[in-house]
Amino acid sequence: MDKLINLLYAAVLAGTPLLFGTLGEILTEKSGNLNLGVEGMMFMGGVAGLAGAFYYEKFVTAPSGALAVLIAVICAFFSGAFGALIYSFLTVTMRANQNVTGLALTIFGAGFGNFFGEVMANTTASGYAGVGNKIKDAFLGISIPGLSSIPFFGKLLFNYNILVYLGVIIAAAMAYLLNKTRAGLNLRAVGENPATADAAGINVTLFKYIATCVGGGICGIGGMYVVMVTCSGIWVHNCINGMGWIAVALVIFATWNPSRALLGSLVFGGLSILRLYLPLGIPMQIYGTLPYAATVVVLVATSIRQSREHRIPQSCGYNYFREER
Amino acid sequence: MRKPLAIVLVLAMVLSFAACSGKKAQTSSSADTNTASGSAQGTQPAGKVTLDNIKIGFVHISDPSDKGYTYNHDLGTKKMQKNLNLRDDQIVNKYNIKEDDSCESALRELAEQGCNIIFATSFGFEDYVLAVAAEYPNIQFCHATGFQAASSGLKNVHNYFGKIYQARYLSGIAAGLKTKTNKLGYVSAQPFAECISGFDSFYLGALSVNPKVTMDVIYTNSWNNPTAESQAAQALIDRGCDVLGQHCDSTATQTTAESKGIWGVGYNSDMIAAAPKAVLTSAVWDWSVYLTYAVKSVVNGETIPADWSQGLAEGVVDVSALNEATVAGGTADAIKKARDKILGGWDVFTGPLYDNNGTEVVKSGETYEDPGSAPKFDKVLKGITVVSQ
Repeated sequence: MDKLINLLYAAVLAGTPLLFGTLGEILTEKSGNLNLGVEGMMFMGGVAGLAGAFYYEKFVTAPSGALAVLIAVICAFFSGAFGALIYSFLTVTMRANQNVTGLALTIFGAGFGNFFGEVMANTTASGYAGVGNKIKDAFLGISIPGLSSIPFFGKLLFNYNILVYLGVIIAAAMAYLLNKTRAGLNLRAVGENPATADAAGINVTLFKYIATCVGGGICGIGGMYVVMVTCSGIWVHNCINGMGWIAVALVIFATWNPSRALLGSLVFGGLSILRLYLPLGIPMQIYGTLPYAATVVVLVATSIRQSREHRIPQSCGYNYFREER
Repeated sequence: MRKPLAIVLVLAMVLSFAACSGKKAQTSSSADTNTASGSAQGTQPAGKVTLDNIKIGFVHISDPSDKGYTYNHDLGTKKMQKNLNLRDDQIVNKYNIKEDDSCESALRELAEQGCNIIFATSFGFEDYVLAVAAEYPNIQFCHATGFQAASSGLKNVHNYFGKIYQARYLSGIAAGLKTKTNKLGYVSAQPFAECISGFDSFYLGALSVNPKVTMDVIYTNSWNNPTAESQAAQALIDRGCDVLGQHCDSTATQTTAESKGIWGVGYNSDMIAAAPKAVLTSAVWDWSVYLTYAVKSVVNGETIPADWSQGLAEGVVDVSALNEATVAGGTADAIKKARDKILGGWDVFTGPLYDNNGTEVVKSGETYEDPGSAPKFDKVLKGITVVSQ
């Protein structure tokens, strides 16, 4: 039992950056934009989140941990959103090819992150950019008196860092927005068939811009999670390391559904650490392929079932030309 | 009208990335060092190499952000620079070079920039070092942790390492005295002899003061991957380990130990600052001893041996100052006793030693010694469990 709890707990921690990336990309794709730049936006968000906390600590004599978390989240969000804004401008306004633009954004974001990470590192005497213990501690697991000490459930539910809860809240909010609100309905209409949505009087361009930028911002928070939580608030060269691509695969796994993204990121997070908890005596390279094998299985399964609800938004990947209706 | 504009903008984005990465490459070699200004750029200086005109290149797998291996090797560089009174522009650092053909390009760039001696600091660089060294016979290439210099037949390639197992043995004593569960954990990078001999010696140190101790090891399969390291550390903690040793570049193992309220033993650099509530001590390197020696040899026209290795006695390896806030009582005395024993000629891999299948690997009364500078002892000893290969 303890073993299972430990595995689940570690899976949640490993899955949270993937959750942010997946949620951001789901929102983006719901608007019909296939933004493959998740990796890049995570890099941008990661370095900006660290920069926010790093400079806040530098210029304030007595930094507060909670405020540092807030600053990091905001900086990461806007930096990721900025990356998505470039993407939206190129694809929505300029009608550039979505795949090419997304790939360019990935490469650009990685360069952006590593460049500014090194710029920050060069300003310090130690040669690396990192935040102090107080801010680092603010990103550790919380402990709610009473609740956190309940056997089993205390650890499973009330003992994570604050960003894990933020991820769950965003997932719930997105599920509500997409399925229960007028704006969500409009957004889905834009993603399914922008021409029809346009004819119904929905501002297609506005919806695409907002959904893509907010989605990019959420991806950015995922990058910040990697830097601030997993790497303990230090800029590590190439720290995102392919996570953005796993998030893109996870969108398919989650069938464009925010609540399934919760489950999907838990499964992917779990698979990525499985070998540490469940040694089966097989080479660890095989463990490394498990998340991708799972994606293939889901792709095959969903394409056999042909459920309309769980399909990719119909216009995803195609730009909308009003003149070509 | 819009399409051309879009194409231009996409191109601009790609180019701005290229500009960014170009700048980055420059900072990584020049920000710390200001290289490009230069007298002897592009060619080997014709005259005699002196301390005033010698140029030294470094190829590193990561950058000082690991706060461990590269950070510490960099400290060695700075100390060597101070020892020999060198200017900043005489040292060229290449950071974040992968263990693939980008290493070859980095080595070539250094050679073409006029470096007289080049240090490559990661195990996986060795094949590229041998390839490039064959083309530049006038440049000395020193490769840390490798084993092929002597057999390569190249006079300008040299391996260097140290008897880090002696320092690990001492740091293991601190772990063995501290553990309450009698179960140590160890986050190791690769399933190679260098790592295996490292955790063996750490375990032997712990065993020498605590006969009940056992140890679990998890490999991350990467020298520097903070994510995998902290996940492996967490898994070890979940298995009941309460003191974590490590053989990987970053401090993630120690910070994870601290966040879970247990203890750890650092490696490479003194890691107390990274996790003040967890770190007992660290097994540390002082690379400046070799760097100073090798650079001096080039200036004096002396040959550098193909295999160079020194240990505790020469100050190349040691344990960092004990963290008085965390270590168990009596640790300092126990370490001092073991240190005197090693300085007196005893060594760590003295029999009888058994591997974890029960086979005797070092006979009673015999002591295993490495043939070259690189560690070659690759038997997992009795009492150690490797969790998943």
